[in-house]
Amino acid sequence: MEEIKAVDVKIFPYRRLKPQTTEIILNSIMEFDGILRVIVNGNSLPKVVGYGPAKGTPVNHEDRKVIKVKEDQVELRVSVGELIITVRYENLDLFLEKLQNLLENTMSFGYEVSTGIFTKTNITVSDYLKLGYGIDNNIDPRLIGMVDPKLKSQDTVKLIGD
Amino acid sequence: MAYKAQYSPGETKIAENRRNHMDPDYELKKIREIADEDIVKVLGHRNPGEGYKSVHPPLEEMDFEEDMMKELVEPIPGAAAGNRTRYVQFTDSMYNAPAQPYDRARTYMWRFRAVDTGTLSGRQVVEMRESDLEKVSKTLIETELFDPAKTGIRGATVHGHSLRLDENGMMFDALQRYVYNDETGNISYVKDQVGRPLDEPVNVGEALDDEHLKEITTIYRNDNISMRDDKEAIDVVETIHAARTDGGYGLDVFKNDLKRKLGE
Repeated sequence: MEEIKAVDVKIFPYRRLKPQTTEIILNSIMEFDGILRVIVNGNSLPKVVGYGPAKGTPVNHEDRKVIKVKEDQVELRVSVGELIITVRYENLDLFLEKLQNLLENTMSFGYEVSTGIFTKTNITVSDYLKLGYGIDNNIDPRLIGMVDPKLKSQDTVKLIGD
Repeated sequence: MAYKAQYSPGETKIAENRRNHMDPDYELKKIREIADEDIVKVLGHRNPGEGYKSVHPPLEEMDFEEDMMKELVEPIPGAAAGNRTRYVQFTDSMYNAPAQPYDRARTYMWRFRAVDTGTLSGRQVVEMRESDLEKVSKTLIETELFDPAKTGIRGATVHGHSLRLDENGMMFDALQRYVYNDETGNISYVKDQVGRPLDEPVNVGEALDDEHLKEITTIYRNDNISMRDDKEAIDVVETIHAARTDGGYGLDVFKNDLKRKLGE
């Protein structure tokens, strides 16, 4: 696989985003050039009450919604607090410009956008524990640093588009 | 010589608000009306209309050994009737909630009798006899100690006091016990404090205005009033810190004692 230069862009809004706002932002971002992957971070929202006298009762949180990103259904499992977008380095300047425009129009509150490395870039011990030795050669490098290795990735990683 | 209680140190508005909460002579401003039955529903310890369960017979019917203390202390009504002990727990957002755990602990102990309260970083639990708890909860929810958006009545899964607010200005709640109505701007409880769904939502009214919250909060914040601007409060904290450090390490305090033990 050819090596590319990529960089992370982190959007940190001052409020937790509604699913509707997340949907608008994600769909717009998907139209931009040079997007490699998007990580949606936030506080996880349980499906059922985990402990206490109401243990097992469904929660039905309004923020745990299925949103539509580019014709694909994505279930939000978190209350969105942070978006990390990995962009091809050569598209970065144009991307940031477009992003600034988009966020100004969609968010009525403050936010921060920072550029750097916000995900891990190498395979680490926890990945070996989770996936086994010898994964170095046959893992898709885009998946490194994307999810918590303790989680089942089919629940948390969604392949959208081409 | 009679001392006048000072409640809490400080020269700023924040300190003044704390003193107002704690001072039993200061009347807390009542800003909303919630039916007794609704409070019972949100607490979730008994069904509305159901009698109180008891853990012992009324005190009057019980035989006790002669005890000065029992004669001296008048029991609160719930204890006299033998009610169970139950709890209510509040979570206060760091985004200028009107109260916060330490403030609550001191307020409870200044204002109410027979409370057992526990302070944690993000929540404050208080245990009382059930019938008295309901009365106290009513005061706590109806007055300026409570803001529907920044304060939560949460028995379990309390996480959220230090998280960012959502787009409607609501504190994070993984169980979403209360919901914001986009049309009316009102907030209603749809679950009781542990997350069991209620038959009917309990309306607790509109969220307080952010600017107003900055006026009535008891939380020092850099973007409102910083604790560093409050000389007196800092002085007290520094005094306590120094005294605890010296005392804790036994500097000077235990010197003579130590010398004696070492045989000097």
